[in-house]
Amino acid sequence: MGVDSLRIERVLRSLVAASEGNYSVRIPLEDVDDEFLEMEVGINFLLEELLVRRKENEAQREEIIAGAKQIAAQSAALVAALSTPIIVVWPGVLALPLIGPIDSERASHISATLLARVTAERATHVILDLTGVDRVETQTLTALLRMIRSLRLIGAACFVTGISARGARQIVELGVEAAHFRSLSRVSDALALVLAEKTVKRGDTRHFTAPP
Amino acid sequence: MPLEFEDAVSPSGVPYLCIHASGQVSLADGHAFAALIAPGARHHRGLVLSRVAKGTEYSPEVRKFFPTVHEDFTAVAAIVTSPIVRAAINLMLRFANSSGAVLRMFTSETEAMAWLESHVSA
Repeated sequence: MGVDSLRIERVLRSLVAASEGNYSVRIPLEDVDDEFLEMEVGINFLLEELLVRRKENEAQREEIIAGAKQIAAQSAALVAALSTPIIVVWPGVLALPLIGPIDSERASHISATLLARVTAERATHVILDLTGVDRVETQTLTALLRMIRSLRLIGAACFVTGISARGARQIVELGVEAAHFRSLSRVSDALALVLAEKTVKRGDTRHFTAPP
Repeated sequence: MPLEFEDAVSPSGVPYLCIHASGQVSLADGHAFAALIAPGARHHRGLVLSRVAKGTEYSPEVRKFFPTVHEDFTAVAAIVTSPIVRAAINLMLRFANSSGAVLRMFTSETEAMAWLESHVSA
């Protein structure tokens, strides 16, 4: 079967364009009844199929990206909520157990959330528990201490519990006055102290003691 | 519509579905054809004569769809005069690997009808 060189050239041009990612190109067809025509039509079919698949892939990719963005946003919201689990342990007494590493961003988030909550709850005491915090950067510790000073300014006394030996050294190295906050080993000790203070203020004779 | 359907009867009194195909045949056209030959429909397992005009093209979706309905007809005789359309139909059959489909292309309506009627007793 002899094939016109122009038709071969058209096929090659389409294949080159397709290999460069241009699947919109088509081989011009002529109503010539030979076997080569079937090959030309077949290549056009293949190019159409590649175009369809590309569109499908692009749609799937966009769907995956949108899904990933949604999951990231949900995760960020969840992490933000879990990173500041403020608990009302007694009317006017808030406890904030901190877990995991605290960077400057998280310290800033904790500070903003806690100050807003103290104001909203009209809290008089805050127990900041650092038992679950292995390591705090000096910069972050400074931010937390600033937060404690802010709490005092809005009228809330702050108790810090669970300070590690390393954390204690850092606080001393920063030259922080012990008068800024009271430090106790356990949350229960702090709670007992707070309740005792509240009792004294009310003139109640009952005594609250920390469990052993 | 690229596919126009018509109920017809052969010279020897055999009923069949006649299709006039032209232009761009889409998946919606394929579904319309499938509905006419689906189980319970008038032309289910019947005979089909399709007159396919020059320049008729089939979308990639309908090319994949047509072979899925081959069990719903007994035979399709396609009258095709354009070599391009003939090549396209040949490829559709080849790509779909639908060896079970009873479809044959003709250039003459007389031959197409005679072949179609031969399937009545089959």
